[in-house]
Amino acid sequence: MSARNIDPITLSTTWHAFQSIAKEMRHVIDRTAQSYLIAQLHDMAAGIWDARARTVAVPEGPTSMFLSQHFSVEYILDKFGDDLHPGDVIVTNDPYHGQCNHLPDWGFFRPIFYKGELIFVALTRGHQMDTGGSFPGGYFPNGYDIHAEGLIIPPIKCFDRGKERADIFELLWGNVRWPEGVRIDNYALMAALQVCENRILAMLEKYGRDVILDCVDEMQDRMERSVRDGISKMPDGTYYGESATDDDGTTLDEQVWVRCEATIKGDELILDFSKSDKQRKGFVNCVYASTYSRAVAGSFLFFDPALAPFHNAGSMRPITLIAPEGSVCNAQYPATVGGSPVNVGTQVLEATVSALSKAMPEKAIASWGRRRGHYLAGTDPRTGEGYVQTTTDADGGSGAVWGFDGAEGAMGMSGLGSIQRGSVEEVETRYPWRTVRYHFVPDLSGAGRWRGGSGMLWEVENRGSDVSVATGSSDGDLTQPPGAAGGEPGPLCKMYVRHGEEVTPARTHRMVEVKTDEILGKLSGGGGGVGDPAERDPEKVLTDVVNEYITVEMARETYRVVIDLETRSIDWEQTQALRQ
Amino acid sequence: MSRICIDVGGTFTDCLVLDSDGNLHQFKAPTTYPDPSVGFMNAVEKAATAYQQSLEEFLGDVELLIHGTTLATNTLINQNGAKTGMITTKGFRDILEIRRGYKNVRESMYNVFVPPYDPLIPRFLRTEVEERVLFNGEVHTELNEGDVKAAALRLKDEGVESLVVCFLHSYANSDHEKRAAEIAQEILDDVYVATSHEILPVWREWERFSTAAVSAYIGPAVKRYLRALETRINEAGFKGKLLLMLSDGLVETIDYCIPRVVYLINSGPAAAPTGARSLGQEAGFDNLISFDMGGTSIDIGHIQKGEVPTTSDAWVQDERVAIKMVDVHTAGAGGGSIAWIDSLGLLRVGPQSAGSEPGPACYDKGGVEPTVTDADLVLGYVPADFFLGGEIPLNAERAEEAVATRIAEPLGMSTPEAAQAILTTVAAFMADQITEVSTRRGYDLRDMAIVAGGGAGPVHVPFIAEQLAIPNVVIPSVAATYSAFGMFAMDIGRNYARSHIMRAENIDLDIVRRLYKEMESEASGGFAELQVAAKDGVYSRTAELRYIGQFHEVEVDVPSGSLTTKNLEEVVENFHQRHEALYTFNMRWRGVEFLNFRVRATMPKAPFNLSSVAEGGPDASAALKRQRQCWFGGKQVDTPIYDGQKLLSGNQIVGPAIIEETTTTVVIPPRFSCTVDHRRNYLLTQKLPNSKT
Repeated sequence: MSARNIDPITLSTTWHAFQSIAKEMRHVIDRTAQSYLIAQLHDMAAGIWDARARTVAVPEGPTSMFLSQHFSVEYILDKFGDDLHPGDVIVTNDPYHGQCNHLPDWGFFRPIFYKGELIFVALTRGHQMDTGGSFPGGYFPNGYDIHAEGLIIPPIKCFDRGKERADIFELLWGNVRWPEGVRIDNYALMAALQVCENRILAMLEKYGRDVILDCVDEMQDRMERSVRDGISKMPDGTYYGESATDDDGTTLDEQVWVRCEATIKGDELILDFSKSDKQRKGFVNCVYASTYSRAVAGSFLFFDPALAPFHNAGSMRPITLIAPEGSVCNAQYPATVGGSPVNVGTQVLEATVSALSKAMPEKAIASWGRRRGHYLAGTDPRTGEGYVQTTTDADGGSGAVWGFDGAEGAMGMSGLGSIQRGSVEEVETRYPWRTVRYHFVPDLSGAGRWRGGSGMLWEVENRGSDVSVATGSSDGDLTQPPGAAGGEPGPLCKMYVRHGEEVTPARTHRMVEVKTDEILGKLSGGGGGVGDPAERDPEKVLTDVVNEYITVEMARETYRVVIDLETRSIDWEQTQALRQ
Repeated sequence: MSRICIDVGGTFTDCLVLDSDGNLHQFKAPTTYPDPSVGFMNAVEKAATAYQQSLEEFLGDVELLIHGTTLATNTLINQNGAKTGMITTKGFRDILEIRRGYKNVRESMYNVFVPPYDPLIPRFLRTEVEERVLFNGEVHTELNEGDVKAAALRLKDEGVESLVVCFLHSYANSDHEKRAAEIAQEILDDVYVATSHEILPVWREWERFSTAAVSAYIGPAVKRYLRALETRINEAGFKGKLLLMLSDGLVETIDYCIPRVVYLINSGPAAAPTGARSLGQEAGFDNLISFDMGGTSIDIGHIQKGEVPTTSDAWVQDERVAIKMVDVHTAGAGGGSIAWIDSLGLLRVGPQSAGSEPGPACYDKGGVEPTVTDADLVLGYVPADFFLGGEIPLNAERAEEAVATRIAEPLGMSTPEAAQAILTTVAAFMADQITEVSTRRGYDLRDMAIVAGGGAGPVHVPFIAEQLAIPNVVIPSVAATYSAFGMFAMDIGRNYARSHIMRAENIDLDIVRRLYKEMESEASGGFAELQVAAKDGVYSRTAELRYIGQFHEVEVDVPSGSLTTKNLEEVVENFHQRHEALYTFNMRWRGVEFLNFRVRATMPKAPFNLSSVAEGGPDASAALKRQRQCWFGGKQVDTPIYDGQKLLSGNQIVGPAIIEETTTTVVIPPRFSCTVDHRRNYLLTQKLPNSKT
């Protein structure tokens, strides 16, 4: 495929260098940002594209934020043409002019020039603590249209040839709540771009432009070959997967479906979402780029794990995505998209993984416990200052895969583990909330030969002002993450507000009031299972019972293993009888 | 009076003596199991013999003994720690397993086919008690002592050998943890009890709990060893100060370490990068790989521009260890690593090791598996009659037999071919581990020099350098006791810290003065404990600052003496500048807050000399000892063997050749040449295929 004359040591050094530059960018953001969501939970991403908008390095980070961001880079290169210069920074959050995900995710792009030539484009993106709109933080479930969801920033220069455009930032920061906080986080994201430019220029200086660009081409060609090899080994055919979200937050209790037909043909993979529901009034819609990133991420999981850290534009070449305009997977202006990173973004990933698990049962992957987030805003009586807060702590565990149980504690399939949990002590220090309990719950995982990670019981007490809670980043009251290869889906979730003995149920995709001293509680289902539960190794079932991940009853009813808890032993005779 | 450093590795125990004349001498003895204090004493005894003294005379004259041990690390890695229980705040027993929501720590997020994390303390041994402290140290719910008793009784029934008490916000108020530990200790008799506030008194519960759980898990084994050692050396007449080498590159007493044994993780390897820096800089290199290869494992450090990096982000296997550590990467490969053939018929080397008992097949102590050392012997690289100066006679027949039957025959190769394959396989593995800390962080190895130590390092490093195209290799004369040398090269001292959050704009100068004063008087007390006059101590002050709202701090220097407002303004200014240097920007418009105040108290290093050797010109023939048949690149070559003790400064040797030292062997393959410097360090240079020279 290529006759490039690159020595293998330079190739491997530059390959790893791009990866570590992107990691360093993440590190700079982590060290300097002030938003809990960006710096601690890591709802942010960094990556590098070449001057033809091809993805060079895709390190850890939520899938939605960059696997499709070549569309954004393409849009920007096209829009600005010759009017890009060293020292420029372009900011955008616009789903309809720039293929961004949803409005809170502000992306900063920096063109990187070497000897007058545009060589690379670096991007950092982070979920801002606020982006204006009806309710702080994002994920407001019932916006009238995209304009109600917040400030829309089409791709514009916020730094021009190294000079900060004060007027632009005045407009941006003048339209968000907590402008000083957003300002710090914006600088953190832009600092990472500067670090990226410094590193890349040093690399170009050292190896020369031609060598680096040859390496980039070579890396992409090698990935393409490997991914095509992988697809060729999959059985040809069309496989179906589907998944739903509870509702669209506007038309209540009506589920919204994502349907994926995955066709394997030789060394090509086609992911077709044509049978998905039409775009909705409510906030669950994905733009094309959003759907693309989730579907492609889902397919990456089925390729050789040795390729996992190195995916780039080459990996995407053999994959085609179909999503007709006007569907919930390719929403058109002015549809609301505020909830899309959670729903239906997660459903796109779940449907893709379900379909491909049918093609390759020996690589079957179950979906993870549903996201159980929220945004709330209130006043902290300790300082008298307002705050906005979100959490990832209430989510259940990850889904099982063929060969392994799901991970306890891993959360958020759409981040595939790159978004993290918080710290109880840090939350209590920063916000007027006290965590009452935070632990696994028996039997709240999808059963299977390999079971899902456990579900969670999480309760927090409001020690600040009365608050409104937007439960837009929660899902799973009515719908379940699919299991695979005969494993059960992740269990349903519940949410409630407790006032003394009185418990009021609360729902996903709504606004919920939590007054001072009241407790917000979430009982969250864990991940789905893989394989028939009655084929699970009885010794593992015993260990699960002793450790209270499952009860004796579930062991008997679902796993068909009879356990004497007193003696911590398996009744093999009865177990065999049940399993026949 | 003399000072000694003893580093107990997985296979060998190294002893380095700095005598009253300022000369360094090195000794080695096999590490002993299950009680490594036996091997420790054997090494000291060897040193005593060399100084023609009795053990009592020799030890009685030692004023300072610094000790590094691999026991803590190995207990964790080999998962043979104690059955450990936990007592924690009600409602939070799963913190240890929920972690920060990681699916997999080491693998890419796009790889989901990984086994789930298996916690050190299983869920059924994690018990809850009623109690709650808030973020500001205020008690929300009193400790329910009845709960603690019940939990302790339950864990006693389960037969736990160790216990860790982990409560929320114990860094802010440790009363509940202390009281619960007290009650539990009474019920659990002599079970080892650790508390999270004592081990890592900083916020963020999972990081603290995890570190404490590791400490409890390895605690009993390490405590047993340390107490046995103390008794042994005291009985043998030692009257000086015994200090343990810690993971952060400082030293502490046994009594300090026993409740917090996690600080002994990487004790030993933590010293090596400092040794490498000192040796590498002397040879003119600032960017270095520190490579230490012993019997069971390799330790790799990366030094960029002379900086020995530390990290608080460390993981050991799947465990998060949040204390500050010298950044050293460890992997399972060494002279004792066993070669084997896997189910696919592929040759593999390690991670299983023959250790020192029974040791490689050639030790003739019952080992039948072929090891890397056996392959070295088959190829003629190590001398059968001069291993450890002839102390361990090697049986070449046993080595050949092991390599022939276990590897050569099944793979249809000749015995030398099989031995060569073993070395190539292990070199490839080690090369890959080196890229882990360099190339994969974006540094080009071809700009660096590699400093190699450990008993097996000088035999193998040239082959690794070949694979990685690293042009320069430094093999120090103290290669065999490399980490122990690092212990001499580094500062001895302690770190002190106080937390107090204050905004810079209304900082209380008196508080800052008081905090530093407190720490410095504590430090002079500490020096007394270390038997150093307080006036000889060097105190360096720092403070950690951040912009209000940030999550991470930046450490900046603070002047000594009585502080003024102007001093603090300068500190804030330095913070702005340091922030910009690290992250490309500052935010002078934003408020700044002080969080932590630190003092690092160090004592002066004793001056020491490495024995200098006379100038001898390029001709090394006076040191020629004999010729031996060695295999290089599939051919048997009649190879000159040099006696290291006779080499002189300026001598040059062109490969293939071998230098024999008492404690190690240096292999100079074809295409390499070696220059001896005035301290008898060996500088190897390879001709790279595309280099012009």
